[in-house]
Amino acid sequence: MDLTQKVESLSSIEAKALKALDLEKLEGMEEIAKKSGLPIDSVRRAIEWLKEKELAKVEEEKKETIVLTAIGKSSLNKALPERLFVEALQQLEGKGSLEDVFKKSQLNRPEFNVAMGLAKRNAWISIQGGKKTLLEFTGLEKEFLEGNYPLEKAMKKIKETLELNKEEKKALQEALKRGLAEKVVEVEKKAMLTADGKKAIALLETVKKRTYNVHGAVPKIFIGKKHAYVQFLDHARAKLLELGFKEMESPLITQEFYNFDALFQPQGHPARQWTDTYQLKQPKTGGLPDKKIVERVKAAHENGWTTGSKGWGYKWSEDIAKKVMPAAHGTAHSARQLAAGVEIPGKYFSIARCYRPDVVDTSHLIEFNQMEGIIIGKDFSFRHLLGMLKEFAVEFGQAKEIKFLPDYYPFTEPSVQLSVKHPKLGWIELGGAGIFRPELTQPLGVKDPVLAWGIGIDRLAMCALNIKDIRQLFSQDLTWLRNTKQVVWENA
Amino acid sequence: MPNVEASRKDLQKLIGKKLDTKQLEEAIEFAKGEIELIEGDRIVIDEKDTNRPDLLSAEGIAREIRARIGIEKGVPKYKIRKSDVSVIVDKSVAKIRPCISAAVIKNVKINEDMLVQMINSQEKICGTFGRKRKEAAVGIYDWSKLKQPMHYRAYDPRVKKFIPLEYRIEMDLEEILLEHPKGKEFKHLLEGFSKFPIFEDSKKVVASMPPIINSQLTGKVAMSTKEFLIEVTGYKQETVNTALNVMVSAFAERGFDIYSVKIKYANKTIITPDFTPGKITVEIDEIKKISDLDLNTKQIVELLKRARYDVKVKGKKLLCEYPAYRPDILHPVDVAEDAIISYGYNKIKPKPIRISTKGSELETKKFKRACENVCIGLGLQGVLTFTMTSKAKQSEMIGFGPEKEQFVEIENPVSEKYTVFRKRIYPELLEFLGKNKHASFPQKIFETGKTLELKQGTETGVSEKNRLCIVLSGKGAEFTVIKGVLDAVADNLGLKYELKQNTEPALEKGKSTGVEIASKKGIVGELKKEILQNFGLEQPTAVLELEI
Repeated sequence: MDLTQKVESLSSIEAKALKALDLEKLEGMEEIAKKSGLPIDSVRRAIEWLKEKELAKVEEEKKETIVLTAIGKSSLNKALPERLFVEALQQLEGKGSLEDVFKKSQLNRPEFNVAMGLAKRNAWISIQGGKKTLLEFTGLEKEFLEGNYPLEKAMKKIKETLELNKEEKKALQEALKRGLAEKVVEVEKKAMLTADGKKAIALLETVKKRTYNVHGAVPKIFIGKKHAYVQFLDHARAKLLELGFKEMESPLITQEFYNFDALFQPQGHPARQWTDTYQLKQPKTGGLPDKKIVERVKAAHENGWTTGSKGWGYKWSEDIAKKVMPAAHGTAHSARQLAAGVEIPGKYFSIARCYRPDVVDTSHLIEFNQMEGIIIGKDFSFRHLLGMLKEFAVEFGQAKEIKFLPDYYPFTEPSVQLSVKHPKLGWIELGGAGIFRPELTQPLGVKDPVLAWGIGIDRLAMCALNIKDIRQLFSQDLTWLRNTKQVVWENA
Repeated sequence: MPNVEASRKDLQKLIGKKLDTKQLEEAIEFAKGEIELIEGDRIVIDEKDTNRPDLLSAEGIAREIRARIGIEKGVPKYKIRKSDVSVIVDKSVAKIRPCISAAVIKNVKINEDMLVQMINSQEKICGTFGRKRKEAAVGIYDWSKLKQPMHYRAYDPRVKKFIPLEYRIEMDLEEILLEHPKGKEFKHLLEGFSKFPIFEDSKKVVASMPPIINSQLTGKVAMSTKEFLIEVTGYKQETVNTALNVMVSAFAERGFDIYSVKIKYANKTIITPDFTPGKITVEIDEIKKISDLDLNTKQIVELLKRARYDVKVKGKKLLCEYPAYRPDILHPVDVAEDAIISYGYNKIKPKPIRISTKGSELETKKFKRACENVCIGLGLQGVLTFTMTSKAKQSEMIGFGPEKEQFVEIENPVSEKYTVFRKRIYPELLEFLGKNKHASFPQKIFETGKTLELKQGTETGVSEKNRLCIVLSGKGAEFTVIKGVLDAVADNLGLKYELKQNTEPALEKGKSTGVEIASKKGIVGELKKEILQNFGLEQPTAVLELEI
């Protein structure tokens, strides 16, 4: 690059910084910022670029300064231990037992020992052994008591960043040793013009007007966009709409009736307990649907009603069914939809926020999304269930190979797990499905088979967004969000 | 879903046929299990069917596999020997925990594998099928230390004493409930009763206090134990019988001898274990219809025998008998699934679904999307926060007194951070900004989502609202700018708003206002400095939140 090209390549920030540089002497970044009117961060960056283009010379200056430590500062504010020590002895009229001085001084034991050692070394006191250790002033303490103590003077000057005299410099060593002061090394970058830099300034006016540097960096623009995970969920939703599914209402709070009872989950079942689902302090209860439906659900639990089932054989309680709770799974909304009435044939889906009192870790959230739904048709069989899953495997898992495994859900029979060979993730459990039990569908007024399915959407989202930790689906990192690419479904 | 741990060698021996890892994996799928881990001799199986207590042990899984791979067929026949042992049930337990079943096991050959299976399956059966011991609690005793007949009766908790398992001192029943770890864990099962059940022998030597804890002296099985007494208590005879059958049949699978016990209730005597098979009648056409497979009756019968059913064909019906350890068969669909599993899920040709339906989404979702599009047009970054949050963030930190605000509130939170549902979105977005002070400014973010309020008279006692929240932070985030955003949002969505009194104490007076759009409320304005400080924010920040 010749000089003209270099000048062409300068951004406006670089040009401003360049013009602020001195040819004769190195200057610090703050000074250059002041002269150029640029923010200090921009100056730092610009100087780096100018250095690479050999228009600026940069040198690092190491500056060693001495500052008081936290202990040093507080000692200076309160008084050094040796002063407290000597003052204590002074209050005892210059003579006293070690324990008396200790008590008077209100120092702790280590501080007191240090202070006594110092007093001895400076010959302010004499120590006499015996039954009790006796301490006594020597007369040399007077100067100290009058305030002439180099260590204190040195510390005050350090605080005010004043020059130390010879005696104080000696005392400084003591301060460093005692951790009252410390050395801090600061690296300061300084810059000045090179000869080319000087020529470049001259060229700036003429060259700069003609062209922009097309290679140069320009300020970053952050565009408006949806949260990456929301983009992914919107794609999944669009896919379901394409496949002919209708969206169901999916309230965050539901009655236990829909979350459990209508799904033929017995009321004493452990899955209904505290540890497995959230319960509410307030509100406590909600309403139940049409009495006819409630009566039939009750009968299904107690004796199977007319479904041909034995039922669970216990006394079903309306009060438990009325309790409200944060929805623990999306199937609650399928139950609500069936109770409210469905088209036959019909396809329904929900992408629902669900809640479970788990321990949050890389694969569990206490609040998460579930994608699931139902397909209702006159003569649907287990083979249709597999046919539906095969379609999902292709549409959602981009799978060429699939596998069906026997599975268990309390509300479906037969039940099946869908495993697929995902191009990126290998064999994964993509979802679960089954035919809703007659004890579930018939009390809700549906006579035809209902195929129920759920897809593990979060797993796919994590793959599409290239993240390993499920918590990142709800990422609160603005920089990461700003830098995410637009989520395209083919990447899923 | 419970994990079943086993020694692979032990499992192989129980199956009675050598299977390589792949074959074993496929065989275990028949038992609704998935291999989680194979490590040397250790194998961990994730058992998915929580309604099959018989599959919670290596013995049970092996038994299921033996039939599915064709080594055996039909309901297993166990030899039950008669004994003169009886359990006398006193009336005093009738209201507390009325039902009991029991068996004596002899010719016991204990080894470590067997012991692990026994202890683990006992615990899992009580936990799942037994509904955490409520419906079924199992006790196993060293029979040589007890003298028959056994008695099941209730005692005053202060009068009766014994040494509970893992303890050295005698405690009365009250003390056990208060102090023993198992007492604390399960004391709710005896809540409200003035007497507690005791299972003891003819000499009043205590075996256990069902469903809480065994005695240290008699209720402990050692490697040297030769004979067991096993007992199950609960509220329903059918349930305790099934649990007993599951446990006892696992012993039988290992070749131990099973002896029956007479249970003498005040008004009747029954004999347990009762291995009379369960009965269910299924229409052949129903299995054909559900499975949609081209099968004749003979083939269906064969598939069911592989699922351990005994089947008689009667006209168009199948009279099915299933093992007495299976509580999960309620309806013909359960039988149909067993037939299909025997057939093999992956041998079935899927049938495409050919129905014509029209996809559609909720109106609220459509409007939400329109709002999001406007936000994108405004150059805002979408964010996503949780709907569960803390009370402090939704009240004190935004200037409300601690008791002023009522929320939809969680009864059993797992973290202080998530105890209520949010009523507004903006405090969550302020917290978001607080986490991103290092990111470049200005920061302009939005979220659309639900907020919850208590409301009587609704179906769930809750009113769920969809809201849009926009927060601008950085130089120039002033009232005039955020009101400009409000105007842009309103114009582009074709909405007209009216100005109302602001009710949010977080907003600066004179630089904020309430708004209302067709009786839906909102706020717009600058946030007070002290509110920003609560979230660690230094830059000027303005907010717009609307119900949409």
